[in-house]
Amino acid sequence: MGPELVIALIAGAALFGVGIYGALSQTNLVMIMMGVELVLAGAMVNMLAFWRYLHPDNPAGQMFVLIIMTVMAIEMSVGFGVAIARFRAKGSVEMEEAAELKG
Amino acid sequence: MNLIAIAILAPLSMALLTMLLRRQPAALALLGAAAGLLASLGLLTDAFNGRGSELILPGLPDMPLRLVATPLTALLSTLVAVVCSLVMVYAVGYMKKDNEKVRFFATLLLFASAMQTLVLAGDWILLLSAWELIGLSSYLLIGFWYSKPGVKTAATRAFLVTRSADLGLYIATFILVTSAGSTDIAATLDTRGGLAVAAGLLLLIAAMGKSAQTPLHDWLQRAMAGPTPVSALLHSATLVAAGAILLIRTAPMLPPETLLVIGIVGGVTTVVTGLMALGESDLKRMLAASTSSQYGLMLVAVGAGVPMAALLHLIAHAAIKSSLFLGAGVFQHSRDSTVLDKLRGIGRDRPKIFSGFVLAALALAGVPPLSGFFSKDAIIAASMNSANIWILLPFALAGTLLTGSYMARALRLLWQGNGKSRSVDGLAWMGAGLAGLVFLAIILGAAFPAVESLLGARLPENSQVQFLPVVLGLSAALCGLALGWFVPVHRLLGPLLPWSRQGFAIAGGFDNLIIRPVFFIARTCEKLERLLYESVLATGRAGLRLGQAVRLNDEQGIDGIIFSFVRCMVNLGGKARTLQSGLIHKELAISIVASAMILVFMLITLLVYQ
Repeated sequence: MGPELVIALIAGAALFGVGIYGALSQTNLVMIMMGVELVLAGAMVNMLAFWRYLHPDNPAGQMFVLIIMTVMAIEMSVGFGVAIARFRAKGSVEMEEAAELKG
Repeated sequence: MNLIAIAILAPLSMALLTMLLRRQPAALALLGAAAGLLASLGLLTDAFNGRGSELILPGLPDMPLRLVATPLTALLSTLVAVVCSLVMVYAVGYMKKDNEKVRFFATLLLFASAMQTLVLAGDWILLLSAWELIGLSSYLLIGFWYSKPGVKTAATRAFLVTRSADLGLYIATFILVTSAGSTDIAATLDTRGGLAVAAGLLLLIAAMGKSAQTPLHDWLQRAMAGPTPVSALLHSATLVAAGAILLIRTAPMLPPETLLVIGIVGGVTTVVTGLMALGESDLKRMLAASTSSQYGLMLVAVGAGVPMAALLHLIAHAAIKSSLFLGAGVFQHSRDSTVLDKLRGIGRDRPKIFSGFVLAALALAGVPPLSGFFSKDAIIAASMNSANIWILLPFALAGTLLTGSYMARALRLLWQGNGKSRSVDGLAWMGAGLAGLVFLAIILGAAFPAVESLLGARLPENSQVQFLPVVLGLSAALCGLALGWFVPVHRLLGPLLPWSRQGFAIAGGFDNLIIRPVFFIARTCEKLERLLYESVLATGRAGLRLGQAVRLNDEQGIDGIIFSFVRCMVNLGGKARTLQSGLIHKELAISIVASAMILVFMLITLLVYQ
């Protein structure tokens, strides 16, 4: 286990932390989604680092990351669709004002 | 089909048809009565030819229901059918203006059918049922005009008196059936000894109730509240006759002691009710008292040991008394009253009807050659031949004398004086019924020898003094007629008059002697019953309380526990719901904290198990 792996893991953890901070600190739906993107990106960096430095001969790890990226794109498109619908209906995507999902 | 069945079912089916169709009741009634009459005549012809018939119906186990046509029952059945038919003809005219003809004729037909069953019954069970049926239908008929004042009381009184006396019949039947081991009437007639005495006395009680003998005679006069055809039928061949028929049919069984009691009861009745008839101020009530008196004479004949004489008098009396009542009914319609004072002079207004009435009255008094003469003569002869001649003969003669007096008095009151009659509808029908019965009342005497030979029982003939009963009876009758026609009643009865008007206070004394104690017993029973009722109620209430307690326990105990669980879950759900705020940040934060906790937990697990 070389230093590259540790550096990559640290970078992933940093991305994860920034993402969480962003998701929690921002009130705009778009910004929250960007935070979530960062969290996922951090996770993917971790995944890729483990694959690249521990099992580079197994392509499954790589494929898995590719699938995650596809799912992420789909997720984002759905998320932005929600945001647009919300904006059209309420004129704002501020999430502090949106408590309608309360059970 | 058996003629017996037709004789009974023809009136009954017509009664049902009348109730169903609710139109043309008179025509249906005549049809039913005529069919029954034909069947009865067929039975009588068979009996003359020496052929009896029998109809056995399945009844209780080992106790089939029997209907038999012996000479006696066939004769009685014919008598009932003839009188019913002629009264039915009369009733067509009498009820012309009544609005409830359907009910009237249907009940009348039921009555006729029940009476046919009674006379043709060959076993005690059927006899009892028919006995009850005629009681019921007579109650319905006496109470026919139930909206008039006093009618309901009269009907109830008639029903209750006869019904209480019927208890005698029930016990007698029980005794006879258990001792003979069969319900067949003919088989039970072999009963002898103490049981026969007891059963005979009990039968006498039943007969006293139905035939209105002293001291149970009061109801018959009150029963005059019913329509006149009903009175005619009740008094001649049906209800009242049932008592005498019962005694005539069971006469072979009755021991001498019982016969003596029967004779005395009959004798007392004939004198007491004869005096009442003499003092009576109402025509129909007078005829009713006379009926009791005549049935008293029949009981004297039974008591003298010659039921044949009683039967002859029953037959003659049926024709005579129904014609008298039918005549009285015409008078009633003409003057809207039956009070003798209001009927004065009616004889001149309705000469044809009155002549029929006179003929019947003379027949009842015993004037030859009318039918009543022969039967009265038979009764007097029977009492002279009896062992108890000195008890029974005076009664028979007094009865004959009184009969002549009260009939002559009635004729005098109806003939003399003035009144205004109004025209009557349906006189032709009434006249036809009356004419038929008067004709029978006149000629029936000629048929008596045939009846005697049919029944195979000769009247006792006293060879030495054969003319004596005739002379005695005729002189008593003529004396009575002369007294009644010429001597005013207040002089005839003297101080007895107010007494006789009150029925010799027997009804009142009856109240004190019997009704008060009975009422007392009834009241005590009622108290006892109330007590029982209260205790039953209290038991019920206690049970109810117990049930309520159990229910409370169930609801608040077991159900309470279960419901408290349910409430707990509901509250928990409510609490859990508050976690969902709908705010994205809050939920994100919660999920991050939760993930962190899971991570920490996994780390600890890893460290501990490594």
